[in-house]
Order: sequence, then structure tokens, then C-alpha cells
Amino acid sequence: MTITHHPSDETIAAFASGALDEARGLVVATHLSLCAECRKTMRALELVGGAMLDRIEPEAMPADAVARAMAQLDYGPLQEQQRWSGSPAADDIPAPLRPYELGPWRRIGRGVEWRPVDVPSGRDVRVFMLRAQPGTRLPRHRHKGDEWTCVFEGAFRHDLGRFGPGDFDEADETVEHNPVVEDGVPCICLVTLEGGIAFQGWMGRLLQPFVRI
Amino acid sequence: MHENNEDLLGHDPADLVRAIASRRDPAAFAALFDLYGGRLKGWLMRSGSSAEAAEDLVQETLLTLWRKAELYDPGRASVSAWVFTIARNARIDRLRQDNRSKQYLHYELVEPEQPERPDVLLDSVEREERVRAALGRLSDEQVRVVRLSFFEGRAHGDIAASLGIPLGTVKSRLRLAMARLRDLLGDLT
Repeated sequence: MTITHHPSDETIAAFASGALDEARGLVVATHLSLCAECRKTMRALELVGGAMLDRIEPEAMPADAVARAMAQLDYGPLQEQQRWSGSPAADDIPAPLRPYELGPWRRIGRGVEWRPVDVPSGRDVRVFMLRAQPGTRLPRHRHKGDEWTCVFEGAFRHDLGRFGPGDFDEADETVEHNPVVEDGVPCICLVTLEGGIAFQGWMGRLLQPFVRI
Repeated sequence: MHENNEDLLGHDPADLVRAIASRRDPAAFAALFDLYGGRLKGWLMRSGSSAEAAEDLVQETLLTLWRKAELYDPGRASVSAWVFTIARNARIDRLRQDNRSKQYLHYELVEPEQPERPDVLLDSVEREERVRAALGRLSDEQVRVVRLSFFEGRAHGDIAASLGIPLGTVKSRLRLAMARLRDLLGDLT
């Protein structure tokens, strides 16, 4: 898999520090599960995090803190290793998505289906998958906030390039674009959308009620 | 500089983790708690936790370390980096309102099923040296931006405002610093 579009450094840094909300973190985690290069960056940052932790000025802990922790130590068998291994890839769903409930696919326009991903989120953010048939032209739209996309299969193109499997498209409210799905196979992607979308044109009006927050 | 440094010098933290993994050694736990408790609290408070919340998270982090000591892989990360990721994950969980998806973003989970291994595993001392040297090769301004952006998790606009520099400068410093770190540390990870 040749990945050419990655999350910005700001986004990787925020993810590695734990500062991203769950919805946006999920799209980044999905990209990471597909992108060895970004996993490398993340690891480098974690090593740096360790070095920074070594250098930080400690804050005093309460005198009884160690004793309280030691009172809770469990001397039973060690915790089983938790990894993604277990579940075989159902539907080719990337691992980070597997714990979430996925809604049914629903047709929301010619050649386009939509499937909600149930991510608990107190914020004005929505997560969903899109499946668009080859050649589909998605309506030109602007965002009111961030729109982050990770492609699983197929590809689309817009002003900023071609986005194929593993690619991460990080659009903010300054971007207005008009993606077109490539010929070949349907394009399936995960999208996290903040603050809603302003669509233009007839298909926009069609999509609006579904994707509206 | 800190009283804890005696522990840091006296014991290799990796040996302490190993002592927990192999024989459930409570003294090793106490030593690691001394070593990391105050530092973790300092980090958590700088990234926005209250003192009480930070203390709770320190407890949780060290208890997780106890439970997962066997999973620590000295070939992959220093104990400090591992502890940092455990604390970060504990904080992510704390911020979630819902239990269903806990743990999905965790360090050990953002890992393909066949993790790629470095060709040569460095020992922990050598790796620490490399990380220190890499940070030493960044300018002070770059280190400051990495610290605020990544370590303290602050937004770029916020960093620009508090350092009194343009947003574009924050972004370019971070980009250069991260490219540098990737170059210098990429083969370690």
C-alpha cells in the first residue's frame, strides 16, 4: 500500500499526547493501523515523551500515595496481553473500528451510501463511513469545521491530489472541494466531520438531511 | 537535581519492571512509584489536569504498570516512554464518558498484527543516549514547540499566543522538529 497523504504533524502530535477527542482520534488511529511511517513518527514522539518525563520538575505527591497504591496491588496471575489479534477482519474493517457499532448502509444519493459509526461524543462531531461507486462525483461542499477522512478501498481525487487506500485527507474549514471517485472499485472511507457541511447543488440538498449534525 | 535521581542512578528502571514481572516485587513497585509519581503528576498538571485528578491518574498508571509489567518490551521503548504511554492512555480513558470503547487507542493496540521489529535492538542506555542526542540537536525554540504541542497537548493557536509568535512560525518549527526527530529516531522505533 503506497500512502502519500498523512495526518499533519500537529495532528500526530495531538494524537500521541492523547489530546484528540475520540471521534477524530479514531480516524487517526485507523490511518496509523495502515501506515508504518506514521507509526514510526508516533513511536519517535513517545520516546521523546519519555525523555521529557525524565526531565520534568516533579510535583509533590501526598505522603500516603505509595501506601495507598500498594494496598491495591493484586498478586494474582498477570493480565493477559491485549492486542488486536483476536477477531478476524470482518468485512475488512480496520482494527480500530471493530469495537464500535456500525449502522446499516443507507443509500443517500446516486452511487453513494452512508453508514453511521456509533462513537460517543459530547462534541459537535459525527463519524460515518461512506461508500461511493466508481465515477461518482460528490457534491462540492465547504466545511464548518474539520473533515478528516481515511480511505480503506478505492480512491477519490480532488484539487489536492489522489487519495487511495490508507491515505488521510485532513480538510479544515478553509477547504472547498469537489471529490470524484476513481474508476475501478467503489471507494470506501471513514469520515469524521465536525460542525456540519454546507453542500451546494441538488445532491447537496439530498445529502444534507443525512449528514447534518 | 531531584532526590529521585538517586533511584534513577541506583536502579535501572527496566530492572525494577522486570522484578515486578518475574516475582511481583512490591519494593520494586515502591521504587518506581517514587521515581515516576511526582513526574507524572507534574506532566498531567501541565497538560490541564487538576492536582486531584493528576494524583488519581498517577495511581492508576502505576497500578497498570504493575498489572502489565510482563508486557514491557525493553527492546522497544524505555521505561519512561512506556510509563508515559500508560499515563496518556489512562487520561484518554478518563476523558471518555462511555466505557464501550475504552482502550481502543492504546499504545499496544496501534500496532499491526505482525509488528515490524528494528533490525538491531539497542540496549536501553544506548537508546536513551540517542533520544537525548536527538533532542540536543534541535534548537531551543524547536524543543519548546515540541514540548508544548506534543508533551502538553496544546493547540497551535494557543502556543502562538503564549509565545507571542505567529501561528505559521509555530507550525513550521514543529514540522522541522518532527522531520528531524523522525530522521534521528526513525530507526529506533
